[in-house]
Amino acid sequence: MILYFKTIYKVSAALLSGMWVTFKWMFRPSMTLQYPHEKAVTPERFRGTLVFDKDTCTACNLCVKACPTACISLEPYVDPATNKRLAKINWYQIDFGKCNYCRLCEEACPTKPVKSVRHSHGYEWTMTDRKEMHVKWVR
Amino acid sequence: MPVWTIGQKRAAGVLAGVTAGIVGIAFAIGELPFRLSQIWTLVLDLAAKNNVPLLVTDIASLVIQCSMIIGFIAVSVMFMVWWERKISAHMQSRLGPMETGGWHGWAQTIADAIKLLLKEDIVPFAASPWVHFFAPIVAFIPAFLCYAALPFGEGTIAVDLDIGVLYIFAISGLSVLGIIMAGWGSGNKYSMLGGLRAAAQSVSYEIPRVLSVVPILMIAGTMKLTGIAAIQSEPLAWIPFLPNWFIFYPVIGQLSFIIFLICSVAETNRTPFDIAESESELVAGFHTEYSGMKFSFFFLAEYAFIFLSSGMAAALFLGGGSGPFLPSWFWFLIKSFAVVFLFIWFRWTFPRMRVDRLMEFCWKFLLPWSFVNILLTGAWLLR
Repeated sequence: MILYFKTIYKVSAALLSGMWVTFKWMFRPSMTLQYPHEKAVTPERFRGTLVFDKDTCTACNLCVKACPTACISLEPYVDPATNKRLAKINWYQIDFGKCNYCRLCEEACPTKPVKSVRHSHGYEWTMTDRKEMHVKWVR
Repeated sequence: MPVWTIGQKRAAGVLAGVTAGIVGIAFAIGELPFRLSQIWTLVLDLAAKNNVPLLVTDIASLVIQCSMIIGFIAVSVMFMVWWERKISAHMQSRLGPMETGGWHGWAQTIADAIKLLLKEDIVPFAASPWVHFFAPIVAFIPAFLCYAALPFGEGTIAVDLDIGVLYIFAISGLSVLGIIMAGWGSGNKYSMLGGLRAAAQSVSYEIPRVLSVVPILMIAGTMKLTGIAAIQSEPLAWIPFLPNWFIFYPVIGQLSFIIFLICSVAETNRTPFDIAESESELVAGFHTEYSGMKFSFFFLAEYAFIFLSSGMAAALFLGGGSGPFLPSWFWFLIKSFAVVFLFIWFRWTFPRMRVDRLMEFCWKFLLPWSFVNILLTGAWLLR
């Protein structure tokens, strides 16, 4: 008989504590973001889409060698008058279909103070065609 | 001194404005039922002067009452669906509908209703067409009939029956017929199982539900819902601060209310008693094969029964329309929606019960305790 009432008490206490949990959570701020109106603040070291600065690049080829998926390709600029290779690029291309956002190209890049190839915080990027994944910067 | 952020200030302002608006509207149309009855007497006088037969005015009165009840059911169900979605979302750290209609997605259910109206009505090949067609109607009509005897505060009742409590229990029990028809007529084994489970559950839980109300009938000495509400609006002699609501009667009131609430949740087939439409076991139970308007009828019936149960809880246990300052229909709605909130709260807190435990809980726990409650009430009345 005592056990019976003890069980009733235990079960009711458990149910009430569960209800208290949901009641408390009802007044907490929600974790959802209203995406098109609100945007997530990305972490400091977030690896978003790669951006490239064609003016500071020295065409040293380190990023091409560092890239594990070989998605970067470049051609150095050759001065037509002297036929000499300059520390500038003619074109620079990243295939975002292959890129795995690993930051190795940014770590390899020697330009200072800002790396010429680096990750941005952007994450809103869609392509409708496979060809659009080849992004090319031309001098 | 805490500093309020702009968001908090805005929220407080909106909250104060909404409260003030609701109170203002309530005061403005607080005399609504009495004004309406006055207008109706004027109409009757006019009809008598112009020799309109009594049958015509009677039918007109019935049509007006029916359309008011249908309008109330439709609007309150739309509100309840939106409310449930918002509350469930906030309990799960989500936001729920936010886009439709601008302010917190208030028009989401209206959009859903339009979508359901426009959807294709699919009848499965294996279904029995007539049973499949009539099932949602049979499920919904009892809910609509029950509202006739529900008192929305003082003087706002369609038919003031002497056996109002019995009538509501008897008619609402018929709704399970529609669910069995839906399960059987769909030609789907899961729907069949769902319908049979619903039948077993509803018939079982009907018994403690009725017995939980018996103590109130014993104390009140009447089955008239307005009479029970009137008794509860008198001041209570032996507890000075509390109103004379049945929920405040020591032990008897609380026990009755808890049993009534649990059985009402079970009657409306909602979690934790939703074995009839359990998604993870029976796809969706009896309404798997329904789409479009037929499905929305089941939905309407479910939510209409939720409000009906809440309204009955408000009328039987929480004093009906009694309360200070505000008009009585407004108090009735506040109390009913407080109980609706309890229903929603249960649904989003508790997991589903197993079938055998469900039956055990009803027959071995609720039923004996409702008998004990009746015994206690008898002892209390004989004191």
